[in-house]
Amino acid sequence: MKDQRLRKLLDAILVPLLAVLSGLVVMGILILFLKKPLFESYATLFSNGFGCREYGNCIFITALERATPIILTGLSAVVAFRSGMFSIGQEGQYLLGAAAAAWLGYAIHLPPILHALVIMIAAMLVGAGYGWIPGILKVKLGVNELLATIMLNSIAALIIEYLVQFPMRADTSAVAHSPVIDESAQLMAFLPGSKWGVGFVIAVIAVIVVYYYLWHTKPGYEQRMAGQSRKFALFGGISSDNSAVRAMLISGALAGLAGAIEVTGVHRRIMTGFSVGLGFDGLTSAILGQIHPIGVFIVAILFSGLKLGAQIGLQLQLGIPRELGGTIIGFIVLFVAAGKLYEQGILRARDWFTRRRGTNLKGESP
Amino acid sequence: MTPAIEMKGITKFFTSTQVRANEGVDFSVEPGEVHALVGENGAGKTTLMNILYGLIKPDSGDIFIDSQNVQIGHPDDAIKHGIGMVHQHFKLVPSFTVAQNILLGIEPNEAGFLNQQKENKLVDELAKKFNLPVDPAARIWDLPVGMQQRVEILKVLQRKAKILILDEPTAVLTPQEVNELITVIRGLSRLGYTIIFITHKLIEVMTVADRVSVMRGGKMMGTKKVSETSIPELARMMVGREVLLRVKKKDIQRGETVLEVRNISVADVNGLAAISHVSFQVHKGEIVAIAGVSGNGQTELVEAISGMLHLDGGEIIFKGKTINEASVGERRDLGMAHIPEDRMVVGLNLQTTLDENLIVSKYNHSEFSRYGFLLMKAISDFAEKVVKAFSIAAARPGEGIAMLSGGNLQKVVVGRELSGNPSFIIANQPTRGLDVGSIEFVHKTLIEERDKGAGVLLVSVELDEVLALSDRILVLYRGVIQGELNTATATEEQVGILMAGGTLEDLKQQQKTSEPSDKWEVK
Repeated sequence: MKDQRLRKLLDAILVPLLAVLSGLVVMGILILFLKKPLFESYATLFSNGFGCREYGNCIFITALERATPIILTGLSAVVAFRSGMFSIGQEGQYLLGAAAAAWLGYAIHLPPILHALVIMIAAMLVGAGYGWIPGILKVKLGVNELLATIMLNSIAALIIEYLVQFPMRADTSAVAHSPVIDESAQLMAFLPGSKWGVGFVIAVIAVIVVYYYLWHTKPGYEQRMAGQSRKFALFGGISSDNSAVRAMLISGALAGLAGAIEVTGVHRRIMTGFSVGLGFDGLTSAILGQIHPIGVFIVAILFSGLKLGAQIGLQLQLGIPRELGGTIIGFIVLFVAAGKLYEQGILRARDWFTRRRGTNLKGESP
Repeated sequence: MTPAIEMKGITKFFTSTQVRANEGVDFSVEPGEVHALVGENGAGKTTLMNILYGLIKPDSGDIFIDSQNVQIGHPDDAIKHGIGMVHQHFKLVPSFTVAQNILLGIEPNEAGFLNQQKENKLVDELAKKFNLPVDPAARIWDLPVGMQQRVEILKVLQRKAKILILDEPTAVLTPQEVNELITVIRGLSRLGYTIIFITHKLIEVMTVADRVSVMRGGKMMGTKKVSETSIPELARMMVGREVLLRVKKKDIQRGETVLEVRNISVADVNGLAAISHVSFQVHKGEIVAIAGVSGNGQTELVEAISGMLHLDGGEIIFKGKTINEASVGERRDLGMAHIPEDRMVVGLNLQTTLDENLIVSKYNHSEFSRYGFLLMKAISDFAEKVVKAFSIAAARPGEGIAMLSGGNLQKVVVGRELSGNPSFIIANQPTRGLDVGSIEFVHKTLIEERDKGAGVLLVSVELDEVLALSDRILVLYRGVIQGELNTATATEEQVGILMAGGTLEDLKQQQKTSEPSDKWEVK
């Protein structure tokens, strides 16, 4: 029984793990092309992405901070995918959630904690509302949710740009931005000089809640069954339509929450160019993380670390363009998509192992 | 005579599923014979044939073709040695024409350019040669299943195969198509072709095969001449114990009406009338069979009663209450159970665990969930209970079900539907694709439920099953009830003529004149 569970876990992480290793090998080849020291590059990448320079000055902390919105947008994708909705609308929902948070941050004035709480709830509602649109379109009119969310992402990016440029613009500086939010709305950081704080804790709680919701509650069960087989759901008396809309509401709320935390915990406002694709990073971490909350959590941190390591380590110390970080992530995703590549090898390795073990328990029939 | 094929000591262990699919299997086929390979689902027939065809590599064992020890590592090797395989699930390109499919990869070409006319002519000649008429220009997706199978056979013949492996070729065919296929097999055998015919329908073995080999649990149980064996003996060899081919049942204790449908009409997915103005009743303690050739409205009737499809008119009354507006869940809560015809897609979710499959119609009950949370312990206890009660050997609570055989999958469905004492059971094609052992199980279980007082609506295209299980027979033809018969007095001819759209009067006339007439032959 325990053996079986371990085996299932290994099966689940094997391909992502091999993909990450393959991605790092490709990185080595690229570095050789650039005529840079190979091993030093690896060391720099990891020490600057995941290490600590001295006590209390850990880049890993920054990686955790950068991972926070990716975890939440990743969870958003997990909820949608598990329910059979191929929504890639996390980016749009995230942007509108952030816009709502930035506005409420300076437009209303409330006591600390309460202010932040109101902002987060409002951002979740805005995100949920924006997720509801493709959900209801799919259910009522059969509109493909993939296409709908692509369009809604573009619309959201333009809306936030307009808001920053005109109604919410703080001053006439060269880079348009909204006013800084009230202190009462800002999320607390754990360490001075860092922005790693309450937001990360909220993300961790969200990981647990989403896992529990999907696998241990009635609505979660309904959503997964409807997502895996509409006919089976209909046969068993589960409404796939309700499940789909509910999934989009929750998915949108999580992405909206990501936006709120990014504003209240990190930037304290929105500015032109606020959209840097964190929603899409969430999407990729969901795919690499086997569409599982825990997987998303690990991958989001890995991605953030790789990006930081490339940015601070490779670029600043070795003069290797920081885009290499993004390139590695791209390759890793590619290797996951091409998971079949490893299948033959995995099977052969497993055959070899069982045959070796087989000498001990030979003749045992299944 | 040297055997055309001889397989010796074939062993194959699947590490991914921990299944010993073949264990020291010896198998030999004479040239020019029709050799049936039978066994229950999961007995290892398909594995053995996949090894012969080079799709799977055996762990050990030798293959001899015409006494030559050969290595078959790839289907190309098999084809080179004159072995061709027609798979259970056809491997055709639906958007291509018949000729394009048959000549796929071996097209006659002129400097790299294809010549459609030449291809069609070539296929036409091939079809004539083997007396297997096809339209070379027809697209595969326009063809009925039986015709697609013919294309597969021609594809294999075009590649100069002398030994044909047919993997459960009749599983997807209608009775008429089965007859045609049997004629084709006989014809090929006369031309000197060797045919290996995988099946678990023993009646087909007796009609078409010269010899039969029986497998059970990955082992070869023996080879017999068909003329020297019988269906009961083969069934015993397959299952390993005595099998009741026809389950005994007690006299009927008919109770009150449990389900009544009044004048109902249902449209199919295209909006056309599939069921028009149908009325009947099912009582407690009786099995009512809906007989008929498949596609005469059975699916729509069942989906309307179970709540999956809307009615276009009429009324469904369950235990005295109109349930026209009731949802699937509400109907189930009232005591309705449903064994659907498609267990792979409708009845089960193969992507999830046994436990989650078993609660799909019950997860709302306070037994399995409280305040919106699933009670995991109660669910796995329930799974444990069902596995024991219905002896679903290979299924384990908490694990996936995708690897289970057809018989075990159906046991999961039956186990779920019958636990909780339903008062009315819809059983739609409950034994389709099952082996004799599993059929016996399903039949026994349905009769037990009837004897306990449940009403059963059995929908089946198998005449044998209808006559063996039911108390009353309603024959469905083009969406209307063509006639009703009492099973105790009904004959096969009577059911047959109603299934073909005739009336009992016609049958009397026919018998009186006793002239051979093909008027009522099912076409």
